[in-house]
Amino acid sequence: MSVTGSAGARGAARPLMRLVTMSGAPILRQLHLEERLLRRTADNWCVINDGTAPPTIVMGVSGRVSELVEIEPVLRDRVPVVRRYSGGGTVIVDQGTVFVTIICDKSAVAGLQPFPRDIMSWSGQLYGKVFDRFGEFHLRENDYAFSHRKFGGNAQSITKNRWVHHTSFLWDYDVENMDYLKIPKRAPEYRLARNHTEFLCRMKEYMPSRSVFTDGVITALGEQFSVQPTDLETVLSNDEEFVPSTKLLSQQDLEEIVSSKGSSSLGVQEVEA
Amino acid sequence: MAAWARLASRSRLRPSASGVRGPPRSSPPVPPPPPRAGRAGPAAPPPPPPLRRLLRLPQVRSSSAPTTSSLGDRWRCLGGERRWLASEASAAVPAGEAAELVEVPLAQTGEGIAECELLRWFVAEGDQVDEFQPLCEVQSDKATIEITSRFKGKVHQIHFGPGDIVKVGETLLKMIVGDSQIVSPDNIFPSADKSLGEESVVPSSESNIHSGTLSTPAVRHLAKQYGLNIDEIVGTGKDGRVLKEDVLNYAVSKGLCREQSSSLEESTGQVELLKEAKPLPGVPLYEDKKIVLRGYQRAMVKSMSLAAKVPHFHYLEEINCDSLVQLKTAFQNVNKDNTIKHTFLPFLIKSLSMALSKYPMLNSSFLEQTNEVVLKGSHNIGIAMATTNGLVVPNIKNVQSLSILEITKELARLHEMASHNKLSTADIEGGTITLSNIGAIGGKFGSPLLNLPEVAIIALGRIQKLPRFDDDENVYPSSIINVTVGADHRVVDGAMVARFCNEWKGVVEKPELLLLHMR
Repeated sequence: MSVTGSAGARGAARPLMRLVTMSGAPILRQLHLEERLLRRTADNWCVINDGTAPPTIVMGVSGRVSELVEIEPVLRDRVPVVRRYSGGGTVIVDQGTVFVTIICDKSAVAGLQPFPRDIMSWSGQLYGKVFDRFGEFHLRENDYAFSHRKFGGNAQSITKNRWVHHTSFLWDYDVENMDYLKIPKRAPEYRLARNHTEFLCRMKEYMPSRSVFTDGVITALGEQFSVQPTDLETVLSNDEEFVPSTKLLSQQDLEEIVSSKGSSSLGVQEVEA
Repeated sequence: MAAWARLASRSRLRPSASGVRGPPRSSPPVPPPPPRAGRAGPAAPPPPPPLRRLLRLPQVRSSSAPTTSSLGDRWRCLGGERRWLASEASAAVPAGEAAELVEVPLAQTGEGIAECELLRWFVAEGDQVDEFQPLCEVQSDKATIEITSRFKGKVHQIHFGPGDIVKVGETLLKMIVGDSQIVSPDNIFPSADKSLGEESVVPSSESNIHSGTLSTPAVRHLAKQYGLNIDEIVGTGKDGRVLKEDVLNYAVSKGLCREQSSSLEESTGQVELLKEAKPLPGVPLYEDKKIVLRGYQRAMVKSMSLAAKVPHFHYLEEINCDSLVQLKTAFQNVNKDNTIKHTFLPFLIKSLSMALSKYPMLNSSFLEQTNEVVLKGSHNIGIAMATTNGLVVPNIKNVQSLSILEITKELARLHEMASHNKLSTADIEGGTITLSNIGAIGGKFGSPLLNLPEVAIIALGRIQKLPRFDDDENVYPSSIINVTVGADHRVVDGAMVARFCNEWKGVVEKPELLLLHMR
């Protein structure tokens, strides 16, 4: 259901993709926006959020808080913890994180089937165009890496007719922030039990500037879509009825987990009859 | 029981429904045959097929069960019952049809994924659902995925709750479905295996997705090679997967190929098909491979093309490194720092800088447009490095102001960065002359190309032990290194290079001269 954009190479019409760029927007607000764009619109979107504040822990849709997060320091330092609507693992995001989210109708990319692996692979090819000239870029399992070091983590959400593929990119990260996260039980094979500092790398050491990166993403998308910058204000409609599933865990939620020794998996959705 | 019999035969008579195979079915969905003739009372129910467990409707009266033997007779008897059934059937089922209880399994979610976590249900028991209506949401690795219904019907029983792990193929829920429906192909996930990194675009051949037969692309290819329709082949693998053996056995049964035991007489291609080890039968072993040049390799294409336009000349000289060898040993002996490893190169770099002070023209760059030569103030000596990504030339800045120890450390740092592909732009830019220690890998002479916009480049061959004459005209073993200087002949001439080289050679062969001229 995507609106036809301008003609691309070979005369084939490129579908329209609306581009929303933000800077420093709180991750909770960004995720709520994404959910709304996914579930309540029929357009293709790219959302770029350059940096976020405050530093926030973002968990995937399921997963035990006690296994993924060091709750005591988090409570002590009042670090917000958000459970997002897509799958995947836990990250701590801050001003050094750049988010790129792609929301598409399942028919938007010709020949791309709306399945996790297909979308992941397609994204790897897209980002390959962005990163190849800066380093030895790889899509390793579900991560973007330079050589063997991860700099981008991915998650997806696939609905009946649409899908989201979103990435948190480590332009820079604060080593101390990593201490709020536990090393996850489930890790990609190529991690090889490395700790955060050995496993990750910073994009800023490979690329001259954030804008070179974001411009590169927009250019790469432009090969397949007709990218149209859209004002954030236009997007923020009065859709009061929509309740996103991305939730901020309250202090109380976290305290309960600590006291009950993390026996429950908090936040998994109830039956919606 | 009569109803059961009727339903069974109805299923058989509808080839489309029973013939469609989706990945979740663990055995071919052939419904059980109706009870044999002669059994008057209700027969013990046969084991239900995995997907189509037949509904036992409460009001079936065994007294109305036919006693005749032929199938045809049964049909005649059932005519009246059909109307009765229609009126008594549950509301989910349109008039004139009977209901079936269908088990809906979790479909294959992708290669290597054996299970998903159930996140939430969108429907509850008793709800009416439409075809393609979302039933629930599961999580598979990084993705949350909505599972939509293949049928129009009524949710009868839900088997898993939020947080449960569901294995692929396990029944998620049971639905009551009107049996005249055309079952939509399993369109949740592809049935063909895909490995990560291969094409993101699904092959246009519809058989990969819409046939519903589970098998790998290699097996499909094999079936195609034999001209077989993979849907006709019974799969013996997990979940009804069609394996290579199944294709081969089928081909044998069709007389398309001989049995494995006689494969020795087959052509090479076919023998390879039958071997267990070969993953992709029929693929030629020597193929062209296309590599797209990226990163450093791509940069090299550009820089060397430009360099080729400059008129080069090359000057070869031999340097006696005996003193240098002794110096290196002396450095190592006083070295207390484990992290520092002394090599020849830092001294060669420092002495080069000394020679450049005397011949600054070799540390310059030529501006073609204005016919000007810029004599560079700093000696930023580039060191060519061979990394896994290709050739890169970072440079050591301000060698004229650095000590040999400082050069040693900086060189090590640049090597480290280069090997991890972490050289910064600053490291790579601003070089004024380049050294290529190709001899570290091998070679005696070279004809190096300029690293523009520099005007000189020096290739160092490997150190060889060669017989030479000493001052008393005795032959002795000497460490010799061959040095090739490449220069831009628009700017530099042979005489200048020769004098420069003599200066450099002099310092290397008599390191004490470095001390004499050091500032």
